[in-house]
Amino acid sequence: MNQAELSVGTRETDQFRPARSLRFLRRLLRRPVAVAAIVVIITIYGAGVLAPFIAPFDFDKTDLRNTFAGPSGEHWLGTDRLGRDVLSRLIWSAQTTVIISALVVVGGSLILGVSLGLTSGYLGGSVDNVIMRLADALYSVPTFLLILIINATMGDRVDSLFRDLEDLTGIGGLERSGAPNFFLLSVALSIFGWVGMARLVRSQVLSLREANFVLAARAMGGSTPRILFRHLFPQLTNLMVVAITLSLGAVALAEVSLTFLGLGVEDHASFGIMIAQYAGPTSVRAHPLLIFAPTVIVALLMLSFNLLGDALTDILSPRRR
Amino acid sequence: METRRLVLTLTGIAVALIVVLGGLTIALLATGGGDDDATSGDGATEDGDAEPTPQLPERVEGELRLFGADPITLDPACASDADSAEYIVEIFSGLVSFDRNLKVIPDIAQSYDVSPDGKVYTFHLRNNVIFHDGSRRVVADDFKFSIERALNPDTQSTVGEVYLDDIAGADEFIAGSATEVSGIKALNDDTLEITIKEPIVYFLDKLTYPTSYVVDRREVGDATCFEGADWTLSPNGTGPFKMKDWVLGERIELEANPGFHLDPKPSLQQVTYLLAGGSALVMYENDEIDITGVGVNDIDRIRDSNEPLNAEYQTGGTMDTSYIGFNTVEPPFDDVRVRQALAMATDRQLVSETVLKDLAIPATGVLPPGIPGYNENLEGLPFDPEAARALLDEAGGPALFEDVTLLTSGQGAAPSEALAAITALWEENLGVSIPIEQEEFGIFLRDIDQGNFTMFSLGWIADYPDPQNFLEIKLHSESADNETFYSNPEVDNLLNQARTSADEAERIRLYQEAEELIIEDAPWVPLFHGQYNALVKPYVNDFLLPPFVIPRLRYVSIER
Amino acid sequence: MQGLASYVLRRLLLVPLVLFVVSVVTFALGRYAPSDYVEIQAGPRARPETIERIREERGLNDPIYEQYARYVSNFVQGDFGESVRYRGVDVEDVILPRLWVTLQYNAVVLVLTFAIGIPVGTWAALRRGTWMDPFSIGTLVLFASVPVLVSVPLLQWLFAVKLGWLPTGGWHERNILGVEIGILSKQAILPIGALTLVGVAGIARYMRSQVLDVLDQDYVRTARAKGLNEAPVVIRHVVRNALLPIATLVAFDLAGLFTGALILETLLGIPGIGLYAFESISSRDYDSIMAIVLLGALVFQLAMLAVDIAYGFIDPRIRLSAEARR
Repeated sequence: MNQAELSVGTRETDQFRPARSLRFLRRLLRRPVAVAAIVVIITIYGAGVLAPFIAPFDFDKTDLRNTFAGPSGEHWLGTDRLGRDVLSRLIWSAQTTVIISALVVVGGSLILGVSLGLTSGYLGGSVDNVIMRLADALYSVPTFLLILIINATMGDRVDSLFRDLEDLTGIGGLERSGAPNFFLLSVALSIFGWVGMARLVRSQVLSLREANFVLAARAMGGSTPRILFRHLFPQLTNLMVVAITLSLGAVALAEVSLTFLGLGVEDHASFGIMIAQYAGPTSVRAHPLLIFAPTVIVALLMLSFNLLGDALTDILSPRRR
Repeated sequence: METRRLVLTLTGIAVALIVVLGGLTIALLATGGGDDDATSGDGATEDGDAEPTPQLPERVEGELRLFGADPITLDPACASDADSAEYIVEIFSGLVSFDRNLKVIPDIAQSYDVSPDGKVYTFHLRNNVIFHDGSRRVVADDFKFSIERALNPDTQSTVGEVYLDDIAGADEFIAGSATEVSGIKALNDDTLEITIKEPIVYFLDKLTYPTSYVVDRREVGDATCFEGADWTLSPNGTGPFKMKDWVLGERIELEANPGFHLDPKPSLQQVTYLLAGGSALVMYENDEIDITGVGVNDIDRIRDSNEPLNAEYQTGGTMDTSYIGFNTVEPPFDDVRVRQALAMATDRQLVSETVLKDLAIPATGVLPPGIPGYNENLEGLPFDPEAARALLDEAGGPALFEDVTLLTSGQGAAPSEALAAITALWEENLGVSIPIEQEEFGIFLRDIDQGNFTMFSLGWIADYPDPQNFLEIKLHSESADNETFYSNPEVDNLLNQARTSADEAERIRLYQEAEELIIEDAPWVPLFHGQYNALVKPYVNDFLLPPFVIPRLRYVSIER
Repeated sequence: MQGLASYVLRRLLLVPLVLFVVSVVTFALGRYAPSDYVEIQAGPRARPETIERIREERGLNDPIYEQYARYVSNFVQGDFGESVRYRGVDVEDVILPRLWVTLQYNAVVLVLTFAIGIPVGTWAALRRGTWMDPFSIGTLVLFASVPVLVSVPLLQWLFAVKLGWLPTGGWHERNILGVEIGILSKQAILPIGALTLVGVAGIARYMRSQVLDVLDQDYVRTARAKGLNEAPVVIRHVVRNALLPIATLVAFDLAGLFTGALILETLLGIPGIGLYAFESISSRDYDSIMAIVLLGALVFQLAMLAVDIAYGFIDPRIRLSAEARR
């Protein structure tokens, strides 16, 4: 996986012009390719969100007398080695991707990235320096490797953390539900994922900092956080939408890749698990559908994110084409 | 300005170079396959069917090719895994060995006597065993060195004491209160005397394990399992094969040792193990390797008698048992009824048929087929979900399983499919939902050892074909390897008697009685016994599929 | 050039600092992991007391700063530790051959990507207005966005299983003039092909947009109006504009070498640095993990620095603004 894919914020995005409100959306919807991409993404992510309602079976519902079945009325895409419904597993895998994407985007990009970017850009000086150095450092390491290491080493500790949490709050079943695993994966991805958003936000803040309305707010005695959130923040919304869209694809791919290697999501359905289980040559030869199903969905998803990202970059960048 | 132009010009040249190089590279790649000649005579394409030329070094006369795994170490005193052992038993040798019928035969020791009290073994060594480099012959002192080295705490071996601490004086040596192992004496160059603490009858079996094999003290020096271990990359052994080349991660080449001291001497000239990736079965079908395993994706096809490959299919047992163990000293599994209920709700037959495609056989007892003492009439606990439910309700019902998880080792994203099927069936048949918890192997072993579990899944392969290796080591209350903390004085008694009894039939009877008691008590739910499922080329003769690691390559020959 | 020299110097000074931080974090992660190589390799019958003793003797119970200090002092003396995956082999003796494998096929991919991508992209740009333009964009985007994780199983199925043209995986090196070369074997075709598909698509799309940009420029239209051959003008401007990001891409490729190879090598069983990194993590081979991470970080930083210098050379505006930012 390309280093660049993992965090948004190459030199290109530094040159984004903030578009007026959400007008770019209208321009976006006029491009049929972008619309198609959006439809695909919404379908897949939507299926993930609605999984408990639309999936015909549970992701782990086995039926040992009906293994490796071909497509049928009951199982539209057939069943796997344990008789589990392939279509359902696809839908539940989409749910896993949605959850991780949401957690990383909210936790990493939004919370960490935006706040650090705002702070860095507005306060400047040594705070800015420290944060940007940190960003540089995080950006210059083999991120995928480090995420692998984090997942491989911290799993046990996160489990005991959740166990303590259970004892503390009296909420049972936290550890069993698989939450620690999702938590660790999201945190690991967020640690490296905030950089792009932060850089983006920061550069915009820098250019807006001396804008009139901000000076006015300061002259009237507005406090720093207030200025940050009431005045600068709204200006950034479209940029953030773009940045998030561009990074969603990378996060989804990261989740699938990590799970494929066994160091991502565990015990739930994931495209990575489906690919890992059925990817070898003898398996592909004997049961092609079992590998086609997840790979085609992942390919479609990545393709759509790419097309959408292209369209967005086209619309918002100062270059003509 | 000037610098800019310079840079731009240089860059232009660079781009042009790249384009040219690119063209060359493409041309090279396209013709790259032509260099290697197809050594199989029918390399020409017949009916347009793609017949790929092999892309590995040309075959040597009398070469066997198969897939292998990278060993962790080739130091006999340190190896604790089967992958390493597979190479070690071919490169090194010990006092005794297993032949292809799994009988203990003399190896470097030409003959041996046992004292009447069964505690003193006198080995008479051959005088013609030479190290691979031709420098000198093996003498009794070399064995004393090698065995003491394996036991020496400075060597930092985790297996030395496991296989060799029956020797008298070993404990003192390990503790540091003795500078040598008093039980090993090199009486002269040709005679080695080993005294053991107790007259155990399977001592020779334990000596067949690599830990006691002889190494060249001049090569090894004071190397430990971790420091100075680079001698293992080109080891000077005494086995039927020598190390010819080891390209880490890619291949291992072994070549025959014509001076080997046992008959039959190796007939193969070279054995090549491929360590890198690729599909073994596909390569086998393309005549690139001579032996492959068969997995669940192809076994149906291979078993079909209409399939041409069916003629090359071989199968055999692997003398192992996979099982689920309970923590018998903590609730809920301190109650024998709960254990029995789970055992009776385990539908091994169905899982074996559907998930495993009969690649393994359902297990009723602890001992696998092939081991002396295996009881094919053992009834054990039947699969009876209704009785199981009744039993469970009597003991307290499914509510007992609230905090129960099935611990297993692994680092995949999903646990083994067989286990997933078994737990799913428990839910169906018994109404209990037991989640599977995966832990990394090191942590898993630690948790097992500390009793930090309710139930776990594990397997055990025979080290040597004796029921003691299963029943006593895993289920005697004083055994260090008894993970389930199972303790039944009656069973202990039977096992103690069997350990030292000299009457073979009596031993078998005792072990079988113990096994019946154990199965009834259900500290284990035995799941499956493994099998080898392999395809062997018709021109390969006598390729053994042994149930555990034994030297086998010297029996193999190729007829082409 | 004065500003540039001091800028480079400042950047170079940062490199060891970042490496230090990275080394501390990676080391801590490794040592705080709940298990270690002694436990993992001890075998099922090893006694816990023995395992504990060996761990103690090998310094695994020492306080972490002591272990780290030991590691650093060895490191600066050129001792990068020994692999535990392959006992007795120095870390550099395992890593370098693996690195060589990964470098080989990535180098070929790089060359092919540009050799094919540049002409294809240019050709697509020149076909603007015809049906071939959106068609080519479509195929290119498809190839560019399908990740290796998805494309390799499918390619493997098609070329190795169905058609039988290629091996299913693995790697074989031949000795050519004293150098072990693996890229001339058939095993190299599938990985090189899979990566090139993605790379070519990316470059081609980029070249296409560059050429289109230039074609629209006034000076080109002027040349055309005057009846002059527009080719040299186009080429010169395309080269100048395209240079920078291509340099960036090369640098990114180099930098991502370590991690990008991982999935590909796992799927095809290629003994490269990516697969070894994964194996090291699984077997808690601390020394190998440290060496790989540090090496990767170093390469990445140097690559980024090279890009920044190139930027500075070629476009003074960026250099000045970059300096202003610091």
